[in-house]
Amino acid sequence: MATIVRKETLLNVSTSPHVRSSLSTRRVMLDVIISLLPAAVLGVVNLGVPALMVIAASIVAAVASEVVFCVVTKRKQTAGDLSAVVTGLLLALCLPASVPLYIPVLGAVFAILFVKCFFGGLGKNIMNPALVGRCFLLIAFGAAMTSYSINGVTSATPLAMVNAGETVELLDVFLGRTSGCIGNSALGLLIGGAYLLLRRGITWEIPVISILSFALFVGIFGAGGFDPVNLGIQVCGGGILLGSIFMATDPVTCPVTSGGQMIFGLLVGVLAGLFRVKGTAADSVSYAIIMSNMLVPFIDMLMIPKPYAYRAKKEKSGFPKAALVLAVIALVSGLALSALYTMTKENIAAQQLAAKEASYREVCPTAQSFDAEALQAKVDALDGQIYGGGAFGKAYINEAIVGKDSSGNDAGYVISATSGDGYKGNVTMSVGIAPDGTITGLAYTQINESPGLGMECDKPAFKDQFAGLSGSVALTKDGGGINQVSGATFSSRATTNAVSAALDFYAQNIAK
Amino acid sequence: MKTTFRGGVHPKDGKEYARDVSFETHLPSGEVVLLLSQHIGKPAQPVVAKGDEVKMGQLVGKADGFVSANIYSSVSGTVKAVEPRKNAFGKKVPAVIVESDGQFTPAEGIGAARNPKSMSRQEILDAVGWAGIVGMGGAGFPTQVKLMPREPDKIEYIIANGAECEPYITCDDQLMRSFPDEIAGGMEILLSLFPQAKGVVLIEENKPEAINAMKRACAKIKGLSVWPVHTKYPQGGERSVITVVTGKHLRLGQLPADVGCIVDNVSTVRAIYRAVTKTEPLYERPFTVSGDAVANPKNLFIKLGTSFGELLQYAGGVKEGATLKKALSGGPMMGIAMADLDVPVQKNNGAMTVLAEDPAEKAFHQMTACLKCGRCNRTCPLGLTPQMMSLAAERRDYEQYEKLFGLDCVTCGSCTFACPAKRPLMQVFMQTKSEIMAIKKGGGK
Repeated sequence: MATIVRKETLLNVSTSPHVRSSLSTRRVMLDVIISLLPAAVLGVVNLGVPALMVIAASIVAAVASEVVFCVVTKRKQTAGDLSAVVTGLLLALCLPASVPLYIPVLGAVFAILFVKCFFGGLGKNIMNPALVGRCFLLIAFGAAMTSYSINGVTSATPLAMVNAGETVELLDVFLGRTSGCIGNSALGLLIGGAYLLLRRGITWEIPVISILSFALFVGIFGAGGFDPVNLGIQVCGGGILLGSIFMATDPVTCPVTSGGQMIFGLLVGVLAGLFRVKGTAADSVSYAIIMSNMLVPFIDMLMIPKPYAYRAKKEKSGFPKAALVLAVIALVSGLALSALYTMTKENIAAQQLAAKEASYREVCPTAQSFDAEALQAKVDALDGQIYGGGAFGKAYINEAIVGKDSSGNDAGYVISATSGDGYKGNVTMSVGIAPDGTITGLAYTQINESPGLGMECDKPAFKDQFAGLSGSVALTKDGGGINQVSGATFSSRATTNAVSAALDFYAQNIAK
Repeated sequence: MKTTFRGGVHPKDGKEYARDVSFETHLPSGEVVLLLSQHIGKPAQPVVAKGDEVKMGQLVGKADGFVSANIYSSVSGTVKAVEPRKNAFGKKVPAVIVESDGQFTPAEGIGAARNPKSMSRQEILDAVGWAGIVGMGGAGFPTQVKLMPREPDKIEYIIANGAECEPYITCDDQLMRSFPDEIAGGMEILLSLFPQAKGVVLIEENKPEAINAMKRACAKIKGLSVWPVHTKYPQGGERSVITVVTGKHLRLGQLPADVGCIVDNVSTVRAIYRAVTKTEPLYERPFTVSGDAVANPKNLFIKLGTSFGELLQYAGGVKEGATLKKALSGGPMMGIAMADLDVPVQKNNGAMTVLAEDPAEKAFHQMTACLKCGRCNRTCPLGLTPQMMSLAAERRDYEQYEKLFGLDCVTCGSCTFACPAKRPLMQVFMQTKSEIMAIKKGGGK
């Protein structure tokens, strides 16, 4: 029998190259983390401990989801590549510091599991996980996601203030000393971007072109024009810096060639500008990047560069026809979207009107028709100020409508009142009042309270207590006769405040 | 004047091990294994048989056809066998094995002085062909074929390639420092074949002594100058050399002569000089033994056919405290990993690199999914898109791979070196290229 002769020690064999650069995936991710630190630190300095908590919660949840996913699906553990930390940190930086901690946790879990892991993990996702996580949160928790506060005081973002005609200090915006997301300090973001550029973690094409095209678009089509302060606030105040430097440049979800990146940058800039000018300010950049992400495979397909030897002498790499085609596509699709919005806006308004009328009927069942004009002057006289100078909390009277019976006599009144004292902002209701001053019904037109607690207000057990009352109402806790919904003092009190305001308005303006 | 090319990488060069070590001559003991296929083209035909006595510099294998090369004995002694032996790839190829008598007695006529100025063009070409000279930088392409382009009048540049860009290797550097006049003399001979051409010695900036020495030697010769270039891998690749000098890029299938260039490694140029002026065939060459696992890194003149193992022993063996993990014929960027060291050095092997660590093994364990970061695309000296090529190759989409110019890849390994995800890019490209070529060959039937 033949024996197999083996040398005692054979050396390693492999194809060349036999050396590798020291750069690893983990190091690439670490660079991104380092580059995000200036913005994170400034965010914590400006917004305090809650910002730190949001960042920590988001990172821990992101890493934990990846670890658990790998364990459950029996995959090689990949959390060590630090990409989950990047996602968690990025997500936290585009959240308000005041959100309850379950929001970053849910967002991070969604980002890692649904956007990354389920698509096959690192490198396989088609959109930026952190951004989709943020958009998920915007849809699911709209109120909390757009309520910004510094040290417990809620205030408008610089963009909202500019839109409302107020003045904002550009320096404050630049340093992130205004209300907004945790990572909204332009200074921190620019430092980080410079570091990343230096480390070649990103290339110049996407940030430079998207910011420039965004500024150009906002300058041309925006209300503020090319006023440098306004433009500075538009660029530094919203998400365009964070988005274009750190999210649009996510290599997995951006084009791989220089030319492709130029087109992509243009697309992001123009779409973000369009959404900023025509849409709502809070989410313009996120949606612009996600939409552009979807075009990346197509861009990559179009923009395959020829090797140097096959390029015609005059042909410069960079901006060929395809760029123009894509820019046109971007503009057309953007315009179509805004047209769609304008068209549906009227529809939405009509639906809202119908909902209102239904609530009028509910609270004032004896009326056949409603007259919104008769008392409008009285409401206008209030000038949108807090009703009663604070006697009813933060209560506002929105509308007063007269209900007519079939013979044209007053059958009752519907007063729409809002209280700003709810657990989660405004509670708005229609209060039906009979000609004798007693309450005929109560219907909420806008209530967004905690499920299971505050929302219990919208049930007969609570609402029916008001029927037949007059003068003013209060919770038993406050010395009145209304039993509050257990565990929902804020929602209950907002209701009694608004109802009392409505009764007072009736007494002052309608009662004979 | 361009000083660099687009793309490329900066691996740690490791030249400090041997760059200032002067040449020693190594004489083999025992047998030398003279492979009959040390070049591109047909293997040489053996002209000796077992038991024959041979002298140093005596022909043992005769070139078989136009693209082939003569093989000479590098020792004097007795032919022990004519049988297949393993090359660096581990493949057995025909070889003549000579047992040395330890005398190194030269064959008759070897070393006879000749004056190239009195030789005709054909006599010079014949001398180069006779000497069995092939590209000593690695390609192993028969040099006299290179010197006979279809349109000799269109040759604008004769380039001596001294851009020794592989990490660790230093023998070309030492050669330029020690024998600048022989290299310049070789260039003078080549320029005499192409009177309209300019002569260039291309040297990377990390070899200042070589640049100075060559500048002094070149000053004596009309039309010959030194062209310093930036230090970057793969500057020494033939295509990078041509791109720097002419600004042109070679397409698949194009030869340097098609863009008016003839490129020869400085060792080849010196071999031409010695073949023409000293009637010396190619049986000896400069060689570096280096790496982080060798005790005494060395620059040597070695006799062809000496085993890598014997050269490592001569350099003091493996350094104390180190374990030999990997041994390469050549440098770490493009060298061939050998399973054992019982392999003879051939004409186009300029170095042996011995490593205590195997970064390729480490990289295998660090591999992650592609991040699409694009570093590979940016480092490719040809402007290819390795990231897209690898996607096509991995799903065996050969049509797409060809559309991406994947067959142009020269497997320099820059993309693979740069990849942070440690993807086996070049490995996939080598495999895909050979599969496509196999299909093309088979498709003709």
